[in-house]
Amino acid sequence: MNLFFFLMSILYGIVKFLHIDFVPFTFHGIPVGLWIAYLIVGVVEVVLVFALSMLAVIIIIYVFRKYMADVQNRIGPNRVGIWGTLQLIADVFKLIQKQDIIPTSADRTAYRVAPYIVFTPVILGFILIPFGNVSILNLMVVNFNYTILFLIAFMTIAPVGEIIGGLASHNKFSLYGALRSAAQDMGFEVPMLISLIGVIILAGSYSANDIVTAQRFIPFIIPEILGFIVFFLAMIGRQSIPPFDLPESGSELVSGFSTEYSGMRYGIFYMGNFGFMALAAFVVAVVYLGGWEGPVFPGTIWLIVKGAVFIFIFLLTWISLGRVRIDQLLQMGWKYLLPLSIINLLISAGLALYLGGVF
Amino acid sequence: MEDRVIEINFGPQHPSTHGVLRIKVKLDGEIIVDAQPVIGYLHRNAEKLAEMGSYPKGMIYIDRLDYVAALNMELGYVLAVENLMDVQVPERAQWIRMLMVELNREASHLIWLGTHGLDMGMLTPFFYCFRERERILRIFDEITGSRLLYNYFAIGGVYSDITPKAIEMIKAWTDDFGSKLEEIQSILGKSYIYVSRTKGVGVLTAEDILSYGVTGPMQRASGIKRDVRKNSPYLYYDRINFDVPSRTEGDVYARFLVRIEEMRQSIRIVKQVLDKLPQGDFYNKKYSKPMLVRLKTTGESYVPTESPKGEFGIHLIGDGSSIPYRVRIRSPSFANLSSIPTMLKGYKIADLTAAVSSIDPVFGEVDR
Repeated sequence: MNLFFFLMSILYGIVKFLHIDFVPFTFHGIPVGLWIAYLIVGVVEVVLVFALSMLAVIIIIYVFRKYMADVQNRIGPNRVGIWGTLQLIADVFKLIQKQDIIPTSADRTAYRVAPYIVFTPVILGFILIPFGNVSILNLMVVNFNYTILFLIAFMTIAPVGEIIGGLASHNKFSLYGALRSAAQDMGFEVPMLISLIGVIILAGSYSANDIVTAQRFIPFIIPEILGFIVFFLAMIGRQSIPPFDLPESGSELVSGFSTEYSGMRYGIFYMGNFGFMALAAFVVAVVYLGGWEGPVFPGTIWLIVKGAVFIFIFLLTWISLGRVRIDQLLQMGWKYLLPLSIINLLISAGLALYLGGVF
Repeated sequence: MEDRVIEINFGPQHPSTHGVLRIKVKLDGEIIVDAQPVIGYLHRNAEKLAEMGSYPKGMIYIDRLDYVAALNMELGYVLAVENLMDVQVPERAQWIRMLMVELNREASHLIWLGTHGLDMGMLTPFFYCFRERERILRIFDEITGSRLLYNYFAIGGVYSDITPKAIEMIKAWTDDFGSKLEEIQSILGKSYIYVSRTKGVGVLTAEDILSYGVTGPMQRASGIKRDVRKNSPYLYYDRINFDVPSRTEGDVYARFLVRIEEMRQSIRIVKQVLDKLPQGDFYNKKYSKPMLVRLKTTGESYVPTESPKGEFGIHLIGDGSSIPYRVRIRSPSFANLSSIPTMLKGYKIADLTAAVSSIDPVFGEVDR
């Protein structure tokens, strides 16, 4: 059962209990009552997903700050709330209060829209993550046959926002950040998609749910180790976190595409980045580590544990590695990751041909 | 071709320009066509100010030249004045000076190492370096009473004696620092990303070095093994053993290795100085403070010293009055910085930050 129908049945139960049964109401044959019910359930779902993804972002940023501080002999946030847990909330309040500065020569519309183009797809991506099965309830907001394609599509939109923001700022550093962002995405997107095709071949489906259930015996990381490496590196690259933070590259391009951004617009970029980190970790866990499949514990806990492992790896690379140069990055993308992903595709095609029944 | 070139100002306000350096960079895509350093944003007229007061009063301006290695700056001034006036300095004071100068060299190189890591996109080594530097600053605080600008070396000695507690602190530090340095070096030097970004970047040949007057670790990284401490020893550098590290590649990575090795040699020097530190006066009792202000002299003197950035010296001219006629500062970073156009042409933007931070410029000294 889908989460949608689950919420629908809860709504129906409440409606019946309160004796305000508007659902069967029709107007000239149009089922208006049912539409209203759909709308209510839809809003509830959106709020749920938004709250969930924001919670993930808050937890990741807090853990990141504390962990980074611990590595670097610092204390980290410890003033706001207990152990500094409310620091991010305080930061957001501060950023909202700030003056909204838009450069006079900037393209105002594009400049304003860009942060949301980065931020929204991340939230949308959470809709498509299968969070597990609780008895017959499928914890997935929407479940259809092409979820993984849509997931990748949402992840592809985010860098477009970076490019638009960089170009709209009318600043040379921003321009360079945007161009680097474009080059980096081209370099990583193709190998990422090709390595994902291997998984799709093995699972025989585009649905994230089917990909998870296909890994109930062997997670895809074992037959698809090459693909996993490519996909994981591409995921680090797509988030633009160190060592691949070239669009931002703090020490070279001031702040890259976000140089002119300040206040909450910058905050939205920032939260979008961390949201993308959570999304990327969950996607890797779903595609290569068997998502919510696991013994003893409920599936959702397995997924969160697997996602947390990847988030920690992301944070550790962030803390410990320097930045690569643009030519080295493109070399890596086109010269190493692309051939590797094609080899992986051939391997998985062979596996599907001869051992197709296993998965 | 010409319309494809974009001109970008790196600095004076930029996260990786080490103070107020401005580089006018002409870029063709990511490749640097031309880079010209523009300096003068931190000009404080130190030379002329030092020419307005008596000889000991010049010290406070000299202190503020290379503010991360203030004692090395003071040493250059003190040696020049003493050379000019034939002041005898007690042996203990000379050894204390050597100790302090080497400690300050470590502190300066640690700042360089931290900011260099920062420029390469690594935040973590920065904090480790500052943790280690903090211990050196505590030692300075114990001995001199201040942490950044000391005004500690006096004409004819030093202002205060080195305390037993400070000696304990220095001993603890020398025992410990080698392993810490190893740790910090491994973060950068064992990282494939760092090594591949610095090898073959910002190359200066030996001819470039000589024609620009580049000195210090940059010179030794390009194959010219010249260290003022060895070649024309001042203080008692001829009485102790240390090596002068040198490489021949002349790139950023070679400079990194040379500086790290220099820090190891500094630990060796500090250990030997602690062993040889004699008892006695820490200043020449003939030169009391009121008398220092009235010192009069004629003549010229220049004593080159090896500051963390290179050869540092002050050309003093006395005209017979109690204030110096001319205080000409030979600052190493100024000469080193002039090699930027040669060092950057043809490399990428990302190499700019790597190469500039490998110069280790401090702008108090460049602009004076």
